[in-house]
Amino acid sequence: MINTESNNGQPRLQAVDLSKRYEDGVLALDSVNFSVYPGQVFAMLGGNGAGKTTAINLFLNLIEPTSGEAFIQGISAHREPLKAKANVAFVSENVMLYPNFTAMQNLEFFVRLGGKTECGTDDLRAVLRRVGLPDEVHHKRLKGYSKGMRQKCGIAIAILKDAPAILLDEPTSGLDPKAGFDFIRLLESLRDEGKAILMSTHDIFRAREVADVVAIMNNGRIIMQENASTLSGKDLEQVYMQYMAGHNLETAV
Amino acid sequence: MLRTIIDKEIRDLLRSTKFGYTFAVCAVLILLSFYVGASNYQTSVTHHEAARAENLRQLEGLTDWLNVEQHRIFLPPQPLAALVTGISNDIGRTTEVEARGELTAHDSRFNEEPIFAVFRFLDLRFIFQIVLSLLAILLGYDAISGEKERGTLRLALANAVPRWKYLLGKLIGLFGTLSVSLLVALAFGCLMLPMMGVPMGGSDWIRLVLVIVAGLLYFGSFLSLSVFVSSMTQRTSSSFLVLLVVWIVSVLIIPRSAVLLAGRAVDVPSVDELASKKASLDSDLWSDFRSALADFSVPGEKDPDKLMKAFNDYMDSLTNVRDDQMDAFASRLNEDRYNRQLQQQALAFNLARISPAASFSLATSELAGTSLALKDRYRQAAAEYQKAYASFMKEKTGMNVGGRMIIMKIGDDEEKELIDPSELPAFVYNQPQLAGSIGNVTTDTGLLVFFNLIFFAAAMVAFNRYDAR
Repeated sequence: MINTESNNGQPRLQAVDLSKRYEDGVLALDSVNFSVYPGQVFAMLGGNGAGKTTAINLFLNLIEPTSGEAFIQGISAHREPLKAKANVAFVSENVMLYPNFTAMQNLEFFVRLGGKTECGTDDLRAVLRRVGLPDEVHHKRLKGYSKGMRQKCGIAIAILKDAPAILLDEPTSGLDPKAGFDFIRLLESLRDEGKAILMSTHDIFRAREVADVVAIMNNGRIIMQENASTLSGKDLEQVYMQYMAGHNLETAV
Repeated sequence: MLRTIIDKEIRDLLRSTKFGYTFAVCAVLILLSFYVGASNYQTSVTHHEAARAENLRQLEGLTDWLNVEQHRIFLPPQPLAALVTGISNDIGRTTEVEARGELTAHDSRFNEEPIFAVFRFLDLRFIFQIVLSLLAILLGYDAISGEKERGTLRLALANAVPRWKYLLGKLIGLFGTLSVSLLVALAFGCLMLPMMGVPMGGSDWIRLVLVIVAGLLYFGSFLSLSVFVSSMTQRTSSSFLVLLVVWIVSVLIIPRSAVLLAGRAVDVPSVDELASKKASLDSDLWSDFRSALADFSVPGEKDPDKLMKAFNDYMDSLTNVRDDQMDAFASRLNEDRYNRQLQQQALAFNLARISPAASFSLATSELAGTSLALKDRYRQAAAEYQKAYASFMKEKTGMNVGGRMIIMKIGDDEEKELIDPSELPAFVYNQPQLAGSIGNVTTDTGLLVFFNLIFFAAAMVAFNRYDAR
């Protein structure tokens, strides 16, 4: 195993022999181990059914692990879910939020749900501006928002929670190039603030752009895990295709 | 945190177009039911007064109480029957009273105006039982599955929110918003009653408040059921379909099936069967009576007045004997039928009570005084009146009139004073005591509370196991 550990203290997100077998017998995650440290973006690359979303769901305790554990700030997400989830923010693919609420109202609700009560209107506005939503749309109902705008709103919610770790499930899926670019800049600034970010994505280019550690997943297993520095100068797409081909060949044999 | 969830639920609901439309329809229907109820009450009072006046008018001009025929009493309209009609339109409101013999009520509202029997009235019970239960389903079917489809459930549960708190907050928010909205519409409806001349006493207001409480409990049980089904399904289309089937079974099928099953299980002889048996005995007794009349003789008596007196006494004694035999037979048959009917009703009601719709219906009709007991109470009041009437007639005529007695009068050519119809005893129908009614609805109200709790508990269990991915 290639050492991808950082020296930035204890891991904020950690998967230890994490496995999940669904009721229908499908092994979605097979003894996965990884750690995400403060100020680090960990990108999980893989096709559909690779196990990326399952891993995130295990960190959110939306499903129970078959074996192993997922830790947030050293707290077991399965055994102490409420305590663990207080330390993590989440942005999902295709953020929908409440269409009858404005961006401000959506933010207000999720921020309070996240346990923060001292957030004022100015704070909400500042974060919405930070994610690229202009003042004139802050009081518009979300049903009139584009997908990119909703995604920005979801990121604003995650930022406002101000949790030490962030989970992103396909966050750039369906975003136009400009929105994708803005999102990456935002992610970089969050990393610079010391957040530990675990991101699942299909988007090799975005992953290469922002990730500190890249893990390629297939059939519930991490088949490659490398530091971005190790991968610099290499064509990540080619590496991905090589690993996928190699693993499939291995599986077939 | 609970407050945050409740607050969000209230605001989300109030901003939804679905709520706007459905609430507008319900509010209009509620107000309409109060308006129609008050109008019906006014019409019933007018008819009732007219019938009573006509009854007394027919007695005007009579000079002898023995000539009184077809004296009738009328079930007075009850204010709450306008809102919860129950069986008030199905039972006879008019009873012809004779000093003896069986009493039968006739002239039901539906008999007089059959068009209303086809579609029935738009009363408050109908609005709650059909419309508001559907409203509960329409606004609750996507409580969880809708959040799942929108992706907001995953986002919400990514926070440190206990699932039970999330569900409780949703349910309180939904129930609170809808109840307050409905209560506003109901309050306007209540204001209409005194404005439209419906004389609501203190007891009537308490009963109406209890009817509304039962309605809200019923509404709450369907709301909890909707949240439960929503917590069992992954798609809103599935939860809506399941709820629609459950609604049809619960509201339309179970109460009717319970009656059918009870009808099969407990055999009750028909009224015609009883009438035939009574008529057969009556015919036999009448023929004995006529034979016995032929045996009348007073040897040596020549004075016609004394002879007439002796004949009347003889006939009176024969009539009493015949009546006693007839009454004993009829009351045996009636009692047997009544007991079987009670058994059948108890079985039907207990079977039907597995549906909240039946519990609600039974509770509200009992509170409004329009349950099946209305028929018994009216019959009892009429029987009481018959006794008072018989004793009045005895006092006025010196005879036990009625029962096909042959009245033979002599010396009718002398000038007599007109009788005063206002001397007749007044028919009084009293509503059941409030405390008694409350006692009678304890089971059904308790069941409605139980349905709320059990559906909420089921929703809680289902949501704890819900796949929120």
